[in-house]
Amino acid sequence: MNSSANFYRPLTPANVKRIDETARQILKNVGVKITDDVYLDKLAKLGTIVDKDNGIVRFEDGWLDEMIGKAPHRYTAYSRDGKNDLHMGSGEVYFANGGRVFRILDMNTGGYRLTMLRDIANTAMLVDKLDNIRMYFIACQAHDLKPEFYHLNDFFEAFNHTTKHVMGGCTDIDGAKQVHALASMIAGGDDNLAQKPFYSIITNPISPLTIEGNTLSIIEYCTQRGVPITCAPATIAGATGPATLAGTLAQLHAEALAGVALAQALTPGAKVLYGAVANNMDLRTMELTMGSVEMGMMNAAAVQLAKLYDLPIYGTGGLTESKRPDIQAGFEKNFSNLMVAMTGADLIHLAAGMLDSGNSISYEQYVIDNENIGMIQRILSGIDVTDDTLALDVISSVGPGGNYVMEEHTVDHMMDQFFYPTLGVRSNFDIWEERDRPNMLKGASDMVLKTLRDCHECGEGVLDIELTAEIEAVFPQIDNI
Amino acid sequence: MSDYKALQEAVLKGDIKTALEQTQKAIDAKDVARDVLDNGLIPAMDEMGDRFAKGVAFVPQMLRAAKTMQECVKLLQPLFAEGDITSKGKVLIGTVKGDLHDIGKNLVAMMLEGAGFTIVDIGVDVSPDKFVEKVKETNPDIVGMSALLSTTMPAMPETIEALKTAGLRDNIKIMIGGAPVTEKYATQIEADSYASDAGSAVAKAKELLGIS
Ligand code: B12
Repeated sequence: MNSSANFYRPLTPANVKRIDETARQILKNVGVKITDDVYLDKLAKLGTIVDKDNGIVRFEDGWLDEMIGKAPHRYTAYSRDGKNDLHMGSGEVYFANGGRVFRILDMNTGGYRLTMLRDIANTAMLVDKLDNIRMYFIACQAHDLKPEFYHLNDFFEAFNHTTKHVMGGCTDIDGAKQVHALASMIAGGDDNLAQKPFYSIITNPISPLTIEGNTLSIIEYCTQRGVPITCAPATIAGATGPATLAGTLAQLHAEALAGVALAQALTPGAKVLYGAVANNMDLRTMELTMGSVEMGMMNAAAVQLAKLYDLPIYGTGGLTESKRPDIQAGFEKNFSNLMVAMTGADLIHLAAGMLDSGNSISYEQYVIDNENIGMIQRILSGIDVTDDTLALDVISSVGPGGNYVMEEHTVDHMMDQFFYPTLGVRSNFDIWEERDRPNMLKGASDMVLKTLRDCHECGEGVLDIELTAEIEAVFPQIDNI
Repeated sequence: MSDYKALQEAVLKGDIKTALEQTQKAIDAKDVARDVLDNGLIPAMDEMGDRFAKGVAFVPQMLRAAKTMQECVKLLQPLFAEGDITSKGKVLIGTVKGDLHDIGKNLVAMMLEGAGFTIVDIGVDVSPDKFVEKVKETNPDIVGMSALLSTTMPAMPETIEALKTAGLRDNIKIMIGGAPVTEKYATQIEADSYASDAGSAVAKAKELLGIS
């Protein structure tokens, strides 16, 4: 458990309760629109109150509590090599990159271009090597592929370039089926996969208070096969949510609880993360601002709301409005990443790599954010106070006027007390001049090039060659790069 | 001619109830409908436009003012003489097949409506055939298409093709938008216009129909 997590509390306990009560009233009285007759019938049988004429489903308190009671408080999002198994609900805070953008800031040209399949492979390689990004999100849309085969190819490239847990969205149930079939081959069968699922699926309700039949079918399909999911509302204060932060939180909380409850109704015990992607409009112009400071505040508050039910949360941080890795990107990203981390989110997605209000990525930003997240992890691990760290013995023996440079105590603790930046420039002025005035962005660029070059040199991918051949035989649609 | 201060204040506040009361008062006092429009409502909207341009009024205020004005115009409608008001034109708008994003499309529709266009909003996930059917049914001047996913953008040229096949393309102007859509893409698929946000969508729509 990180000792400084659970520090930041944007809401008082009384206000957490008020927002929760409002959300429960929303679910009981306003309800959620479900755009599918088959699911309306199914949900009526499962105990919700269904108004079929209007396609509305309402949840009584008792039913809601019973369903949420079935959700696991803890589960593990497995990696394939066991080195990055992520224990959701354990109190650890994990950061991940973010997903499915359509544009990338290209370091070769300095301009923006559409994303391609190779960008999925490259970002997966980067994440595999970046220690503080603990899970890989399918980062972008592969515009060089036919739509029918997006998901198969996305996930294949992801699996082939990182052993970390992979998370991504599926447009439809066919995509979900293809990904499951592929993962099952890699796992050596459905049972193995269900035992240790190494990928999760993201779905979203449509704010305000609507869930597509298609979304429910993906949730049902995945959860019945042991694949973890989230159904994460991307509520926009001032557009798809009220203009007040409290109002947007109440609605988002209702939507997120509905996602958890419906998953449990369809598959009792389903592994599910309470989801929150709160953001807001700039009401001057009606531009979406995913990098606003209120985004960080709301997503931190959402952690408190999820924890009221002891549910693990798919949280959000690390977004910026900036179009380049610059000063604005630096502070916007770190405000939200830090706030959400210090509230104790289990998973913070979009935490690395993002630019341009969630529309773009940059490789450099991946490595820069990795370093910033390292600092946040350092903050979370706190200041440990023990007899040894209080250091009375060594203070006594060094005494007034001495120094600590060569003390054994110093050597013992030099690695466990400090965060050492790799990209942050720290040398003294003369050395800085001698080294041709390094800066973080240049360092990031070099690091990206080196990491990708090393990865390309060491071979095709991380999947076994024979397995890859088998996969390609079964799925000729895979466009191996 | 009466003094329209109270009416104008109500429009600027977006207070529909008071604005309607004031309009009714003018009607009861036998004001000419055209005067209420020209000296009451339109100057209020001009003032709102100014405030917005200066950054002191925000989009929700502008949209509320426009909505208030429309309600007043509806009340005046039966009293207008021929030629007093003309709709700026009819815009049919929808989000293309496979795409459920509608916030941007709704904003564009609201702004166009506020600027005096008649709007036919046909929703999200609209197939090319549905566009064709609705164009036949409602006979718009402009067809607006929105796509927020780079993967649903190809539905735009498909829709244009379907409109061509149905023999409707020549009677309408096509305007497209959405985050991944670009001016270049609009040219490439032979749409008539592209706008990057709701404000410029209004200007572009006027341009397309040659009005100001
Ligand atoms: C909100 C949102 C959602 C909501 C939509 C709710 C709703 N009612 O619309 C939900 C959560 C449901 C959603 C779902 C999905 N989304 Co989404 N979503 C967004 C988000 C965060 C904001 C979009 C938005 O509303 N912007 C605000 C409005 C005001 O701006 P706008 O739409 O661009 O509109 C302005 C202009 O473009 C223009 N305009 C727009 N339309 C038109 C039309 C005309 C005629 C004109 C002239 C102008 C014009 O004027 C508007 C006003 O100024 C974007 C990210 C982002 N930062 O944009 C992702 C984003 C668009 N989504 C994305 C994705 C991948 C998805 C999903 C596939 C996710 C998934 N489950 O895996 C699904 C797809 C569902 C579907 N089939 O459509 C990606 C798209 C990537 C790509 N390939 O292009 C984005 C970029 C996010 C990301 N990085 O993952 N999403």
